[in-house]
Amino acid sequence: MTLSSAEQHELRSTARALLGRASTSKRVREVVASEAGFDADLWKQMVELGWTSIHVPERLGGAGCGYADLAVVLHELGRAFTPSPFLATAVLATGALLAADHDEVAVPVLAELVAGGSLGTVAFASVGGSYEPAQRSVSWSPDGTAVQLNGAAGYVVDAAASDVLVVAARAVDGTTAVMLVDATSAGLRVERMQTIDLTQRLFNVSFDGVRVAAEQMLTEPGPRAEALLDRLLTLGVVATASDAAGIAEQALESTAQYARERIQFGRPIGSFQAVKHHCANMAVAVEASRATTKAAATDLDGEPAGWRTTAGITASYVGPACSEVCALAMRVHAGIGFTWEHDTHMWMKRAKLDEVLFGRPAWHRRRLADDMFPVLAAK
Amino acid sequence: MLEPGGALAELRVGVRHWCEAHVPPGWRHQQRGADHAELVEFLRWWGGELRCSGLFAPHWPREWGGGFSVEEQVVIAEELARGDVPRNALFHVAVFNVAPTLFHNATREQRDRFLPGIRDGEVWCQGYSEPDAGSDLASLQTRAVRDGDRYIVNGQKVWTSWAREADWCMLLVRTDPSEAKHQGISCLVVDMHSPGIAVRPIQQAWGPADFNEVFFDNVVIPVENRLGPEHGGWGVAQGTLAAERAISILEMTERLRHHGIEGAIREAVAWRLERGEVALDDPAVRELLAECWAEVHVVRNVLNQMIDDIILGVDVSGSSSVIKVLYSELLHRMMLRITDLRGVAGQIDAGVLACAGWETGFWMNDFIHSFGWLIGGGTNEIQRNVIGERMLGLPR
Repeated sequence: MTLSSAEQHELRSTARALLGRASTSKRVREVVASEAGFDADLWKQMVELGWTSIHVPERLGGAGCGYADLAVVLHELGRAFTPSPFLATAVLATGALLAADHDEVAVPVLAELVAGGSLGTVAFASVGGSYEPAQRSVSWSPDGTAVQLNGAAGYVVDAAASDVLVVAARAVDGTTAVMLVDATSAGLRVERMQTIDLTQRLFNVSFDGVRVAAEQMLTEPGPRAEALLDRLLTLGVVATASDAAGIAEQALESTAQYARERIQFGRPIGSFQAVKHHCANMAVAVEASRATTKAAATDLDGEPAGWRTTAGITASYVGPACSEVCALAMRVHAGIGFTWEHDTHMWMKRAKLDEVLFGRPAWHRRRLADDMFPVLAAK
Repeated sequence: MLEPGGALAELRVGVRHWCEAHVPPGWRHQQRGADHAELVEFLRWWGGELRCSGLFAPHWPREWGGGFSVEEQVVIAEELARGDVPRNALFHVAVFNVAPTLFHNATREQRDRFLPGIRDGEVWCQGYSEPDAGSDLASLQTRAVRDGDRYIVNGQKVWTSWAREADWCMLLVRTDPSEAKHQGISCLVVDMHSPGIAVRPIQQAWGPADFNEVFFDNVVIPVENRLGPEHGGWGVAQGTLAAERAISILEMTERLRHHGIEGAIREAVAWRLERGEVALDDPAVRELLAECWAEVHVVRNVLNQMIDDIILGVDVSGSSSVIKVLYSELLHRMMLRITDLRGVAGQIDAGVLACAGWETGFWMNDFIHSFGWLIGGGTNEIQRNVIGERMLGLPR
């Protein structure tokens, strides 16, 4: 059961109030310079409020609501550009475990994630940042009763903080497998990739003969494993789009306020049409991004058949639109917006990473074309 | 006759069957290159078909032959677009602009007097813009002088669609020149057959001439034809209401999907690029078309949000400018990009199709036509001012 709109409204208010206190610009700047890269106290509160398990069924210890509700939290985390393990743990790792066929592997770990006892992530991009199956750069091969992993995955969100990793690997014959790997496994190395966005951390994860018990597979290798990864990619796209829509909304509000208050030539700059129209264009993009991420998150609570299309539509529009909103925010703020002290660059950098983290918009459009054009051209 | 109040799925099937039975096959081909008289004759006939179906004005109140819920109106708009119906262009002003004004701002007597005519196929036009009052509409100069129980009107209107065909005109005039410009305006209904009215066609940039200049020379209008209070006309005729605009743009957006972008995808199987390759196989073309296809869904998402809000009773007037800008800019950009994709082949004139909306498949014509949406109903530049001032609280 997803939340009613009144309940969603309450969730939004709670989140905005908490993050307004605990994820101020000053605090974010302290946190990103720390070893952990996120605020453990805030994370504990987020877990206690049930945010990480909104979409987890009640029988597994969650609230039994939907992705449409989870997206409310993602939107607010974007607004406050909060550094947190939410995307990696609550969206990606939890999403992988929820989609797993093998409950005996997934359920105990899921319980840990839901309770906040451990953190997780998913390693499914190639070292070059591609999500195409043929580009996968982690290989798996049978090794007695276990499998052995070799190679590396790139752009893994929050890998250093994670206790467990869901890893996508490719066999010599091309068969895909998805398995749960302990972060402390021998031969597994995590190396930080210094991102320009300071609020989200990415890692290269290398596997040098890492042995994983065969029971750690989340599903049968092959098409089912590929379908699970496809679902995770859609989750990633919708989550980053929700985050970006939150950033853009906040950027719009701050920019409009600045345009109302900043006086030049004896009048507020927002009275000049050149500035006013930048703001109006931001408002149009924010409205469209909000409506599209909401529709996409609602799709995730429905039939899986449409998920790839949902990912394509969302990735094609929302990322670029929200980045453009941030770009306009910087232009309207002008000199002050170009300083390190002001937050415009924080919005812009996070929105840009959100735009491409789960595949370039252009790649998603090509996937859309491959999926849809044969159907549409035959109509 | 399709009736409101049944199951949505049945209504959908009903509208679909009606379209299959009533939309003349090949009408797009037949109407291509039609002259003005042929166009008007076709639109009058098509309006008659719609009037017999119950689909002429679904958003009107039940007592006037409408009564379809917002959800039902969405289904009707979707199915009309899908069924590739001609646009009800000749009656659009009467059904979508005049009637809502009558429902909200007219007396019972006025409704009883004018609505039956609209239902029976009378054509209306809207006398708003003037040569010196475009975006600054409130500075209009057409003067109405009170003379007992009548007004004497003198002045000129411009960009008046279907004025030559119109039986009536909903006219904005200045009744009190001493007042501030928004305060001295009244809204009058003018019989277009009155003595003293002269109408001159204006050909539009893309070819058709449904636009006109209208001249008023001592035209006599009875006071009982005034809608709303004297000098209070500005509030009466504030254009299409947000709910009606949402449904109207929803139909346009569905057309843009079925006959715009998906039409282009279907056609691109046969288009060849310079090296002989099929256009739809070219990666750049694929990306471009997929982006446009995605963006049509984005516009639809915003409309769905507006529809949900309308059903919940939330005020959507703020979104009205947003959706106009979003739809029209997408339409415009899409037509430009598809025209560019066609190269020199896209510059050959195959004849204008004037009654199919903004996505006739003659892409260069559609591109020129799309400027009409950027300009009409308040230019997008004015819309951006409205968004900035009313939504974001920016100073004037």
